[in-house]
Amino acid sequence: MKSVTQQVNNTATGSETTKNAGVTNTRETKQTTGKQLVAIIFILSLATKMFMLPVFLIQETGRDGYIVLALYGAFDLLTLVPIIIAVRMADVDMFELLSSVLGRVGAKITVGVFWLFLFFKLNMSVSEILTFYNTNILTEFDTSMMLIVLLVFLAAVGTHTLRALSRLNEILAPVIVVCLAVLVAIVLMTRFDFANILPAVADGKRFSSALVKHPAWVGDFAPLLLFVGRTKTKKRTWCFAAGSGVIGTSVAVFFAIAMSAAFGNVPELVDATTNISNILQFSVGNVYGRIDMFSSVLWSVSVFIEAGLFFYATARCASFVIGKSAHFIISIGNCVMVYIVQIFAFTDPMYFSVTVTSYVCAIGTAAVAVIMPCLVIVCAAVYKRQKRLSKVGEN
Amino acid sequence: METVQRILDKFSTPDNVVSHEFKCGKKSGVLIVHPDLSDAATVRAVIFALEHCAAKLSQLEDFSRYALLEYDVKISSDVDDCVNKLLNGDLLLCVEGESRYAVINARSYSTRGVTEPPTETVMRGPREGFIEDLKTNLSLLERRLKTPDLAIERMEIGRRSKTAVALCYLSSVADERVIKNVKRRLSKIDIDGIVDSHYLVPYIEERPLSLFNQTGLSEKPDIVAAKLLEGRVAIFVDGSPMVVTLPFVMVEEFQSGEDYYQRSTYGTFVRLLRYMGLILALLLPGLYVALQNFHYTLIPVRFMITLMTAIKGLPLSPLAETVFVLLLFEIIREASVRMPRAVGMAMSIVGALVLGETAVNAGIISSPAVMVTALSSIALFTVPSLLGAMSVLRILYTLIGGLCGLFGLILAALFTLHYICALNAYDAPYLAPFTPLVYGDFKDAIERSTIPVMKKRPKSIPNTNPTRQA
Repeated sequence: MKSVTQQVNNTATGSETTKNAGVTNTRETKQTTGKQLVAIIFILSLATKMFMLPVFLIQETGRDGYIVLALYGAFDLLTLVPIIIAVRMADVDMFELLSSVLGRVGAKITVGVFWLFLFFKLNMSVSEILTFYNTNILTEFDTSMMLIVLLVFLAAVGTHTLRALSRLNEILAPVIVVCLAVLVAIVLMTRFDFANILPAVADGKRFSSALVKHPAWVGDFAPLLLFVGRTKTKKRTWCFAAGSGVIGTSVAVFFAIAMSAAFGNVPELVDATTNISNILQFSVGNVYGRIDMFSSVLWSVSVFIEAGLFFYATARCASFVIGKSAHFIISIGNCVMVYIVQIFAFTDPMYFSVTVTSYVCAIGTAAVAVIMPCLVIVCAAVYKRQKRLSKVGEN
Repeated sequence: METVQRILDKFSTPDNVVSHEFKCGKKSGVLIVHPDLSDAATVRAVIFALEHCAAKLSQLEDFSRYALLEYDVKISSDVDDCVNKLLNGDLLLCVEGESRYAVINARSYSTRGVTEPPTETVMRGPREGFIEDLKTNLSLLERRLKTPDLAIERMEIGRRSKTAVALCYLSSVADERVIKNVKRRLSKIDIDGIVDSHYLVPYIEERPLSLFNQTGLSEKPDIVAAKLLEGRVAIFVDGSPMVVTLPFVMVEEFQSGEDYYQRSTYGTFVRLLRYMGLILALLLPGLYVALQNFHYTLIPVRFMITLMTAIKGLPLSPLAETVFVLLLFEIIREASVRMPRAVGMAMSIVGALVLGETAVNAGIISSPAVMVTALSSIALFTVPSLLGAMSVLRILYTLIGGLCGLFGLILAALFTLHYICALNAYDAPYLAPFTPLVYGDFKDAIERSTIPVMKKRPKSIPNTNPTRQA
């Protein structure tokens, strides 16, 4: 016989019995939720695209930098589509999918290539963070010390679960949105002459050269493949995911337009460290105590998160290739490698610039950004078919 | 008598217990009593009843049936169990020719009255608080939850202390997996003794080394009853006025029992203040040092001029002076807590006013540093249950802010946040309802909605019956 409390409550809501009540709880059967996926897509769509890329593009093309950035944004949004489909299709994670379809060795080789891509992107993010802080915020601080502090955070991300990282994303997304809104308001209130971006594509040669040189910045959504089979989604999640990607890319393009408007006529004034925070410095000045810088600093949290996600993905891919799940040790190893790359290869911004704009990096990055999600979709389809066939065989 | 000797042999000092010989008709016997734990009047009454019993008694059962009818008597042959009962204040009746014992309930301890707990004082609402007696504490809870659903599972923990522990929950609301998990953890405890509920906390927490509380602690029956109604489990420990509740989420740190006894708008306002207070307490000293050391361009010009005048000629760096003032505050706080109350008040005045004022006048520390620390310290007390964790973190943040500027401060904050995000206690995400986002639970997170609006139990806490009211 049911107790009094139970009867009262079940009468109150008809459909809600003790049997289905567990569904309404936050007990998480999967690592991440749809809302967390949407938040992370928003952050990834704008994070590194607002750091150094606009600077390089303006240096190369002048006032057309924003168009190139918009094209890269569109390219990334296209790569997001297969990722979303893969997340929707698969019930098991990426590693299991690849292993069951390509075999153990094939999967390891594929993940190894993916690891290389992720490691390169991770180093790009880390390098951009160091440059931003080293030249704008912490001019008197040693870069290698700064790197160690950053690596401690990244190691923590690599050691913990995807759930922890997704939750961090979810809780910080509103802060990032507010900071971006403050920056947008400052840009709009300080009378930028947006007419400076015209005429568009005046020098086609420079434009196409810039377009070919910088694809190293695409593929920001690729680590989302780690969410395959581990995300609890609802019907409308896909619309929100695509929407947040479009909004994030639009925000990045908006700031690129502001930069192009500010420096389009004088691209020689842009150096490797100029970005949105510097434009605002010129416009707001020192009178208000650089509130714009506070927003820039808080907004830059999104790049930490992006770097964190790349680090997490790198660590898990390494873990799969090695065949061990000692996440702490693998994360430490990863940190050591990043430290070596940053100190011995990427310290010089010139060398960094030459490396990431090389054709090898450009083609390699773009290729992996497109092929990897497509491969996962194919594997998911084959896996589903295999499962169906085995079910039919059993029956 | 052999039965008496068996009991006395168990004690390293048999003088601790007293044996009263008596004669009941033709039968003679011994009543073993622990004088410190048993009620003397009951002992006298039992002996009187035995010696004046007219009925013919042969078996031990006859004693309870005829002579001790008005007492709670149980027959046992287990010596260890009988010793345990004796140590709990029961009387042991031994009769010649019987190898068994009759255990008579005569427990009596002196307990303090039910008073307002000093840690959770309220302006409005019930003033009752738990005391050290388990029976009284359970009765206080049962008075508030008069339902057969209220399950009370008793157990003993501690090989030597044999402390009575009670696990309480509402069987139709609490999640079975949570109950099972708590019981499993409690049953695994193998310790010589527990003297307070805090002893249990590290055994039932998922991360005992963490800075953050993963269990709720309350001294008030109304709060514990409300938590049980939300689907939590409560653990009572005999000898402790603090009741442990599980699962625990961080939002609970910002909730106070009094929030529900005042206007909901004011309750919401107070909660917002608590959140702001915590952020201020945690980040203000670090931010102050970081701005001075590395990012002075971020400080508005007029404020910068005032600051420069105040710190001119100081022997200590901004980092050293802020850490110095923070440590000074922690020392004064610790000393005033440990000192007798009368001295403590004088001590805090001396510490805060005389020491601070003198140090500023002597040019050792600056007044902005004192002000920042004072503001941060006052803000810290808006969430008293997080005092320990926040005190440690605040000093760490100050050191990081002073050494690595905003870069380090942001990373430290992210590191802490990421760590908290990873916490999950008994299937309850520690940062829920903020992450994972649970809109329904916002009614009692930052906002304090009116009670009629809160129709559902919090989803953040696993439960099997989501609806509270129609």
